Order: sequence, then structure tokens, then C-alpha cells
Amino acid sequence: MKPVRSPLPWLLMLVAGGAFAHHSDAMFERAKVLELTGTIKEFQFTNPHTWVQVEVKNDKGESVEWSLEWGSPNQLGRQGIRPSTFPAGAAVTIRTNPMKDGTAAGAFIGAKLADGTIIGNWE
Amino acid sequence: MTTTLHKRWRMAVMLVVSGFYCVPALALPDWGGVWAMTGGTVFDAATRSGPGGSTTPGLRQRPPYTAEYEAKYLANMALRDKGVLPDPNSMCGIPAGFPRIFNLPDVYEFAVTDKQVWILSENGPNVLRIYTDGRAHPPVADRWPTHTGDSVGHWEGDTLVFDTLSLHSSESGNTMIDRTGLVLSDAAHVVTRMHIAEGDVMVVEMTIEDAKALTAPWVVTKRFNRQPAGTRVYDYACNENNRNPIDPATGWTYTIGPDGKIMDQSPSAAGSEE
Repeated sequence: MKPVRSPLPWLLMLVAGGAFAHHSDAMFERAKVLELTGTIKEFQFTNPHTWVQVEVKNDKGESVEWSLEWGSPNQLGRQGIRPSTFPAGAAVTIRTNPMKDGTAAGAFIGAKLADGTIIGNWE
Repeated sequence: MTTTLHKRWRMAVMLVVSGFYCVPALALPDWGGVWAMTGGTVFDAATRSGPGGSTTPGLRQRPPYTAEYEAKYLANMALRDKGVLPDPNSMCGIPAGFPRIFNLPDVYEFAVTDKQVWILSENGPNVLRIYTDGRAHPPVADRWPTHTGDSVGHWEGDTLVFDTLSLHSSESGNTMIDRTGLVLSDAAHVVTRMHIAEGDVMVVEMTIEDAKALTAPWVVTKRFNRQPAGTRVYDYACNENNRNPIDPATGWTYTIGPDGKIMDQSPSAAGSEE
């Protein structure tokens, strides 16, 4: 695993609201917060939205790839997020507003890495 | 010695002359740096609530719409509340246009030159050119609707005043001027005043007249804060990795999975009432 960046206090201040300025957020269950524990597969640091791809074991022990949508790389980049923020292979716990239809995807809220680094909103 | 003195005199004269020609006719204001809009990406603030301003209309500070355009707006807001408004700005490829260019997330630059002012939005990216060289709008026969229209303006002290017309309507150009579904007609004519107010806030006040869509002028104001020195502006490539295509038939925003295929079903396809 690559070394993880030090936590920056202002990362806690990132606000999920407004992150989906590009399109409707009607697919997400905004009132529900789901916590997923797994391994980072890929961090797509791309426009118009970034995506955190995470391998998560389901109830049957099978690996399922979740897609967590976050803000634009431009907005996040100005707030200190980098392509290296989520190194492939890193153990992670992620909080998300999941899709309403149960699809393995959601709106990214925040994440905690193995060393305690908090990324996004965790409170 | 004489030659050296001559050279010095010549250099002094050249500096004075070049300095004279470098001084602009008018001192233009410093609009440098990077700016970010305050408030949500809607013009009518009373329509905004919920995450991203995407849901639930409130008590509207309504644009003074004619009955025809009021009906269009209400229909669009009903779709917006279901999350199925086919907003062209979400489809990657159509410019935000004017006045929506003043209603975008991400950051801005306001580039002032002696003959033009450029409004540059990172989101899109979009460019609005405002000619301040004294030209007039083209004659009617020589203009056609575009997303940004034609803008000509002048300076009143530190305030830029410009006039915009020849804009696409919601019919001719599939445009909406914000994410609640506000629309204007091809008769829209906007006078905009831009200046930096106390507190280093760029104030953009637009007075919108539209003989077909509005019964009276509608004044909307957007404000922008200057960002810390050194703030950078980046590419915005909407089709770089757009995993949220919009179904033009239903307006539903799909989600594409890691295999490149659509993951979810639209509520209408699934039989949901939503």
C-alpha cells in the first residue's frame, strides 16, 4: 500500500451539498447513510465528477465493486484532494447516500482510512 | 562621450514616448484573480432547498412571467422536483449561454482589456465576450440567435454596463437559464451592470426584459467572491468520464457502472410513481 497523506483539518469541512451541480441527485437516498468497509480499487479523478471505486464483500462473502460519486476534480483539487488521496489497495470505510434502487453505488459523504485519516465529512 | 550622451538622450525620449503610448485612455478596474459565485445555482432563490438546490420549490420571488411562460416554468419545476428535468446543461456539450453563465458552480475569471471584457467560467468552460470598443449590435439582418447572444458595453467609472440580445430561446436552442427550468423567449434583452462593491464582492445585476415571456422587467443579481491569491483554474471536460447520461425521453439521470454499462433503472421503467 502506498503511504497515505496526512489528515488536513479542513478536509472535514468539505460539504456534500452542491457537489452534484452537474446533474440531478434524485437517484440517491439522501436521508439514508450506508457505511461500507472494503478496499480501494481505483480513484477516478476525472470530470465532471470523481468516483471512488471500492471492493466490498457482500453477505455471501463475494466481492462487489461499489461506485461512489463525489465532486468535480476541480472543486476537490482546490480543497486539497489529489489523485493519490485514495491509493489502490488501501483499506477504507466509506459513508454514502446509497442509490434508491439498491444498485451498488451512491453519493460519497466521507471516508476513514486505516491510519485514521478522515477524507470528506465524517461527523 | 558625446555618443554616449546621445544614446542616453535617445533612450530617455523612447522611454517617455513608449510610456505615453502604454498608458490606456481610461484606467480600467482591477478584476484580476479568480472568483466564485455565492449562493446556489438558481436565479430565483425562493425555489431552492434541499441538497444542491435540486428539490422542493418554496414561495417564489417569481419572475413576472406571462401566463404562457408561467405554465412552462411550472411544468419544468414539476419535472425538477421528480429529478427528471432534462436540463441541457447536464448533457455535456451545450454551452450554458447567457445569462446562465453567471449562474454556474466552480470558479470564474473576469478578464478586462481596453476593447473587450471576457467572462470566463471554469464550468463548461464558457466564454462571454463583451465588446467595449464602441461598436453597436449588428443590424437585425446580420444576427441570429446564439447561446451567448451579442453583448456590447461601456464603462461608467468602475462599472461595466452591457447590453445583450440575439439569444436562443427555450424553443430555438433547448436552453434553460437555471436548474429549476427557468426559460426565456427569443425576445429577451438584458442590461447588465457589473462592479466591485465593498468587501471585494463582484456584483452582477441583470435587468431582463422579454416582451413574450415577461410582463415587466425582472432584476436578478449574482455575487462573486474573489478567491485567495494563487488560486488555479482547471480544465472542465464534461465528457471526460461522464457516468451520468440523461435519458432524453424520460429525463432520468442514469448511472454507469465500472463495466461501462448502465447500472440502474429509471423509476418510470421500474413502474415507480416517482
